[in-house]
Amino acid sequence: MKVLAIRSKTFRESYKEDIRLFQTIWIKVWMGLFIVFLSLLPFLGDPYVVYLVNISSVAAISALGLNILTGFTGQISLGHAAFFAIGAYGTAILASRFSLPFWVSLPAGGIVATVAGLLVGVPCLRLKGLYLAMATMSFGVVIEFLVVTLDGLTKGVRGIAVPPVKLFGYALDSNETLYYLLLSVTALCLITASNIIRTRVGRAFVAIRDRDIAAEVMGVDLVTYKVMAFAISSFYAGIAGGLYAYLMAYIHPEHFSFLLSVQYLAMIIVGGLGSILGSVFGAVFITIVPEFIKSFAEGLSRIFPVLEGRYDDNWNIAAFGLMIVLFLIFEPKGLAGIWGRVKTCFKNWPYTY
Amino acid sequence: MMGRKMVMVCFAVATICLWACQSFAERGVSDDKIKLGLILVKTGPVAALGIPSGQGHGDYFQYINDQGGVHGRKIEMIWEDDEFQAPKSVAALKKLIHRDNVLTIITTGGSQQTIANMNSIQEYKIVNVPNALMREFYDPYNPFIFAMGATYEAQFQCIVDYIFNDLKAQNPRIGVVYTKKEYGKIGLEATRERAKKYGVDLVSELVLPTGAVDASSQILTLQQNAVDYVITCDVLPPIISLLKTAEKYNYKPKKWFGFNWATDDMIVKACGAAAENYIGVNYFGAWSDDNPGMKLVKEIAAKYNRDEKSIGLTSLYTYGIGVSMLYVEAFKRAGKNLTPDTLKAAFETFRNFDTGGVLPPLTYTDKSHAPPEVVRFFKADVPNKRLVTCTDWRKPRNL
Amino acid sequence: MESGLVFFLQLLGSGIAVGCLYALIALGFVLIFKATEIVNFAQGEVIMLSAFICYFLVTTFHIPFFPALVITCIAAALLGVLTERLVLRPMLGEPVFAVVMVTIGLSIFFRSMAGILFGHNNLVFPNPFPSETLKLGGIVLSQTQIWIMVSTFVLITAFFIFFKYSRIGLAMRGTADDQRVALLMGVSVKRVFSLIWALSFATAAVAGIFLANVMVINLGLAFVAISAFPAIVLGGLESIPGAIIGGLAIGIIENLAGGYLDQMIGGGIKDVTPFVVLFLLLMFRPYGLFGKKEIERV
Repeated sequence: MKVLAIRSKTFRESYKEDIRLFQTIWIKVWMGLFIVFLSLLPFLGDPYVVYLVNISSVAAISALGLNILTGFTGQISLGHAAFFAIGAYGTAILASRFSLPFWVSLPAGGIVATVAGLLVGVPCLRLKGLYLAMATMSFGVVIEFLVVTLDGLTKGVRGIAVPPVKLFGYALDSNETLYYLLLSVTALCLITASNIIRTRVGRAFVAIRDRDIAAEVMGVDLVTYKVMAFAISSFYAGIAGGLYAYLMAYIHPEHFSFLLSVQYLAMIIVGGLGSILGSVFGAVFITIVPEFIKSFAEGLSRIFPVLEGRYDDNWNIAAFGLMIVLFLIFEPKGLAGIWGRVKTCFKNWPYTY
Repeated sequence: MMGRKMVMVCFAVATICLWACQSFAERGVSDDKIKLGLILVKTGPVAALGIPSGQGHGDYFQYINDQGGVHGRKIEMIWEDDEFQAPKSVAALKKLIHRDNVLTIITTGGSQQTIANMNSIQEYKIVNVPNALMREFYDPYNPFIFAMGATYEAQFQCIVDYIFNDLKAQNPRIGVVYTKKEYGKIGLEATRERAKKYGVDLVSELVLPTGAVDASSQILTLQQNAVDYVITCDVLPPIISLLKTAEKYNYKPKKWFGFNWATDDMIVKACGAAAENYIGVNYFGAWSDDNPGMKLVKEIAAKYNRDEKSIGLTSLYTYGIGVSMLYVEAFKRAGKNLTPDTLKAAFETFRNFDTGGVLPPLTYTDKSHAPPEVVRFFKADVPNKRLVTCTDWRKPRNL
Repeated sequence: MESGLVFFLQLLGSGIAVGCLYALIALGFVLIFKATEIVNFAQGEVIMLSAFICYFLVTTFHIPFFPALVITCIAAALLGVLTERLVLRPMLGEPVFAVVMVTIGLSIFFRSMAGILFGHNNLVFPNPFPSETLKLGGIVLSQTQIWIMVSTFVLITAFFIFFKYSRIGLAMRGTADDQRVALLMGVSVKRVFSLIWALSFATAAVAGIFLANVMVINLGLAFVAISAFPAIVLGGLESIPGAIIGGLAIGIIENLAGGYLDQMIGGGIKDVTPFVVLFLLLMFRPYGLFGKKEIERV
């Protein structure tokens, strides 16, 4: 009985407890185990899996940024890929042309993206809902155009090769070595985001999302906080872009099309709007599930040799689309919603609620 | 201090692991099988470019297998789709090497995918023939990339040479319609520079994106500037709408030109009379050719129940077969002991290797994997709805 | 006439023709948005699917163009009803975001199904109209362009009359205005929604078929909807006349930019101009030209 009592102790006696990062000791334990698992992954899995984790952690950082803007503050953006691109190009240009070290060029890329975010955020203050989405999308299209056109700076359609990260004199030029770097940056970003959300700033964001006029009446300065949300979100996108540049070692304007913005939106909606964990879930889902479906289909054609050579890869993508549809019909709150339900289910076991 | 030690230990272990992966000797080769990978788009809007050449590879290997394979080994090709996105191409490469354990990968997608995979190509010794050509692939010498065909620069230089030498144009008014992709930009710059060497400036430089709804403003501008030689650096769909729009406005330049991605019978089939003055350059055989190589290509297509309509872009099917011929020849030359290194060495023994007209004669040495840089010109044969060869292989002239 | 003027009028003429296409695409979006507040991201895929269907009806089944157009519209309308019934109705009352995401999922699904069903080859629609062009005082217009303009005009007039005078049209306007009140007044909101999706998909089909006549048919046709986004927003998302004016405006702006700016600045400014115009316009009119301005109370 004692165990049960501990597990169900979620009563909070003060606000401080309510906003604590790790609510129970068990979360800490599970977190620890998960971190150990992640750090052993390169030794367990093959480089293919490691690469997928790398790519999803970049996506997770970027999705996290979008979630802060869209999920927490309620400002829809369809131009997130543009900030990602600005960060990637900022970092890549600083690293390749000025040979700045990683720890300068990455934050610098983030800052360039932040400035761009401010530039868009200020004129977009009056816009709401889909009109805002379209304004940010237009910004994205313009940035895509500029990246291709200003080839003196960005090398245009020829793309930029990015030198590998150097840390303590070691070149991190393989996926396995970059893995730890990416993972630690992702962890840092996650912790920072959680901290932003549980302070005054985060509560102001949520208030704006729920009802901006009410928030203003209660003393939340709309201008400051909306612009701040834009800035933070584009900083995250910029950092993710910089990491992407280092990970791929080569960037090209076509990597940052409008469809990427849609993909980020998909990540946060599938993962769960207004949820830190949801951004990670969504990023992993959108990046890894198509690969998983692919492997599954290959397994199928090994079992049924009739399919060999006749199988159309379009089915994989169709299945992915259908999965998104069915899954949102089943759980409109996204993966974070399912996660929450599973957690409550465990917590209350053997009772239903 | 502790942290740093940990980091070093981690690196050491990781390096050992990597080294262990490397030391897998006979990757993808067993006594009766050779496993090959292919990364090429087969879904989405650009699939029309990927599918025919992938089918060409597959059919030729099947054809060889039906004849008993190479040195008793059957060839198995695993075709991964990259949706024409670099991150997916990188993932597919890792999968093919580590999961499927293939000997090599024929091509890793388009040119930007190849650049994104450059490090892995070195690391895993992937002997590949990229299906798009950029100077960076062979200059400086890259041990595992075998460039085939002609660079975009060379193709457009040949086109400009053709205007001045074959057509003997006096003060031609040349216009370029391009798209903002690698080939478009490179084509534009090469044309501009080449025309300048002949003492002519380009009259118009217009952009026509791949998904353009309407080419009216481009055609009207060309018409207004009285351009009489239009050079296009774009893929088929926009060129088809360009030619059809030109017909509508009764704009008839003396010649239209297109490069290898737009030199296919499809253009005449789609545009009919509008394609009358179209001239394309390409470095692989045309379906209408009647040489031994193309006869074999058509025989293979017939054997595996493909006709022109089901293939779509026949030029790319031809390309697929041509490149597969190179691999099969290299497998033959490499002999029983087939590894990435012996395969590379086998490729490097090619001296004017002839595919019977499917591809230009190829020479590779251990110093240079440069492409032959030759093209042929094809002109539209409207009544028979096809392109026919009108020149022999030629290089850009020395100016 | 002076050649500069002819050039301008010519650009204007083709701009209007393209603008009509954008207007048709925008109309499909607006119909759904007005009634349900959903931006249907799968609209482009419906356009592409209908282009394929009509192509195969005309070439494989040798059905004349106009009957094929009608059949395609009916097929698209059925697809609309099916989509609404199977996918959108279970999402009634869910957050708008989730619903929009569902349409994104649908678009992925439709696109790959088109790949499976129709293949990836570039297809060219056999021109159903005589290829002689019409000359109106120096301006050349193809018969396809004339047909595009005429059908857009007819469709819009039909919609106008339908919404203004028919009973069900009135019910639709009522639903768009206030769902709850419409329900109380005895309007079957479910049926209205079905009908809206059917109408919207049929409009998209018309747009798709005409697009197929001016472009090459392949999966990329779906992305035309993205270039029509400025047209949709320029007019205001809730306004049908707005969709028309937005479409025409974007078509004309795009062509003029292509004709004049592209020669001066170069580098494909034609394709970004609509987006720049949209961005600037939204700075001054946050709800587009004719959008409904929401008055909020706390």
